[in-house]
Amino acid sequence: MNDLADQVEANPGAVGFLTDTTLCIGCKACEVACKQWNGLPMDGLELTANSYDNTGDLGATTWRHVAFVEKIDTQPVDPFRMLPFQSNWLMLSDVCKHCVRAGCLEACPTGAIIKTEFDTVVIQQDICNGCGYCVPACPFGVPELSQADGKVHKCTLCYDRVKDDLEPACAKACPTDSIQFGLVDRLKARANDRVEELRGLGVEGARVYGDDMLGGTGGIGGLNCLFVLTDEPEVYNLPAHPKLPQDETLPGLLSTLGAAALLGLGLIFSFRGR
Amino acid sequence: MPSERGTDEHEAGEAGTDEREAGEAEPRGRRRRREQRPPTDYYGIPPIHRAHWGGLIEWYFFLGGLASGTYVVAAIAALFGRPEHIMVVRIGRYLAPLLVVPCPVLLILDLGRPERFYNMLRVVKLRSPMSLGTWGLVGFSLLAFLSGGQQAGRDGLLGGAGRTLARLPARVLAGLGVPFGFFLGGYTGVLLGATAVPLWARNARLLGPLFLSSAVSSSCALIQLVLACLPGRHEESESALERGELVAALGEAAALAAIHVHSGALDAPLTTGRLGRLHAFGAIGCGIVGPLLVRSAGRWLGLPPRPRSILASALALVGAFLVKHVMMRAGAQSADDPAATFRFARRDGVPDAAGVSGATSGTPAQSGYQPPTDAARA
Repeated sequence: MNDLADQVEANPGAVGFLTDTTLCIGCKACEVACKQWNGLPMDGLELTANSYDNTGDLGATTWRHVAFVEKIDTQPVDPFRMLPFQSNWLMLSDVCKHCVRAGCLEACPTGAIIKTEFDTVVIQQDICNGCGYCVPACPFGVPELSQADGKVHKCTLCYDRVKDDLEPACAKACPTDSIQFGLVDRLKARANDRVEELRGLGVEGARVYGDDMLGGTGGIGGLNCLFVLTDEPEVYNLPAHPKLPQDETLPGLLSTLGAAALLGLGLIFSFRGR
Repeated sequence: MPSERGTDEHEAGEAGTDEREAGEAEPRGRRRRREQRPPTDYYGIPPIHRAHWGGLIEWYFFLGGLASGTYVVAAIAALFGRPEHIMVVRIGRYLAPLLVVPCPVLLILDLGRPERFYNMLRVVKLRSPMSLGTWGLVGFSLLAFLSGGQQAGRDGLLGGAGRTLARLPARVLAGLGVPFGFFLGGYTGVLLGATAVPLWARNARLLGPLFLSSAVSSSCALIQLVLACLPGRHEESESALERGELVAALGEAAALAAIHVHSGALDAPLTTGRLGRLHAFGAIGCGIVGPLLVRSAGRWLGLPPRPRSILASALALVGAFLVKHVMMRAGAQSADDPAATFRFARRDGVPDAAGVSGATSGTPAQSGYQPPTDAARA
């Protein structure tokens, strides 16, 4: 265990998800189970015409979102050759990443957003006053301000269920175990095994999203919710190398201090001169 | 807003054509198109969420900047200036508390749950600019009211309470208030910078100086405006304020120039469309160039000092609001642009899983992905 990735990521005892996109069949049972367990209202009945994705995005009342990507081959396909693995139809059940160092948590001015004993990131609904600062502070676009109650909501990793030794509703409902729940250390090892296995099958693009190489970069220190992808993260609407926004707080304040010093000197000379 | 991100789409289109020609020799199954082109997006759905902030917060940025700037100008004039600047000191000390009063009101009204505003006061978080700003605003308001009260007492207002307030140490208050004032003028830019919004985050170290310079220049303008409306002439103070305004406006121009250079293609919201025009003609033209022109050229043209000062100050104040308005709206556009977010999240040069070192990289990776914990598993 001398690998840097294992030293900087996930705290001991941290739990999270491993979402293996190669196992996802796009049934959206996770979305439904999440809404049922957490008592979240429906988002409407619009059809987006974006493949089978009629959910669109994570939001205040959508804590799991299945993305559907239909890739089109640019090179001609040989009809007599079997593809090494899977089709060009990619599905990913997106969720809050429960960052090891979370931008939303660091931004929150009320202390409503906390790290739980499971190292998950939870918004305390009795504290949140809806300032909305965590919304643009999340590099993954997860939290959202609800118009219904004026507070911000996001996945709690089923804090209430995990406390009672139950796995989160989405993982429980997933029929193919595309969503796996467990200790992050074990999930990480499993993710790496799976990537190796996939690459052995000829899936050259297989990769883990959520370690310090991809997804958990730039001061975030890794994600507690990992993904196995088969293409660039952007294809799934995930940023490749997000940064922890609050690492800019101190440099920003220092540069402002520098500007203040210059402006102060300018004003002093202005009021001394004739 | 598809029309607002023409730059990125144009580049993406060009890169795509090149690759399709070069891609013939590539082995089947390698998706070179995806690897070399500025990254694709997912049905145009933004990968990050924009801030909900609108007019209330823009007015807060504007009024908070004016409150902080007027306080700082008055305090520096009192501490370092010559005695004939007493009117500047007096106006600044009266304006700062008046201007800071609407600030918490605007902030509270913007909350999703205004009745819970006091939860802002239950923690101090040094890495959260909004938490720092809350406490900064509390401290500044206190000092601004004490300084204003002290001045009012000295001026024989407020009766008995005024006589007590007049005994407060004005210089100590001014010395304490200046750091708070500078903080309140600049932290708003740091607050925008400490987000995932590409345009703001790329300029996290420039927005603070920009908003602070804008606060100081517009405050010099506001005090000149008040001086011009008062009876009598204060030529010494007017020229001192003009000098101060010039210094701050130059700082503002420098910060804006640096933002454009530093942003690269991410500054598209500031250069295109309605917002781009508002930025060029409103924030820069009306706010920075306009007052300088009126104050200098107006003198040559023989415009009387009073209307000259009023016109120039009004232009500067409109411009100072527009700087905040444009930057806020540009952030929303930037957050809504998937290409901007992906570009920003690739710039650090760290090779990603496929070995591509960012959107600017021209060489597609042939070497594959190495699972990071091979060593750990052995």
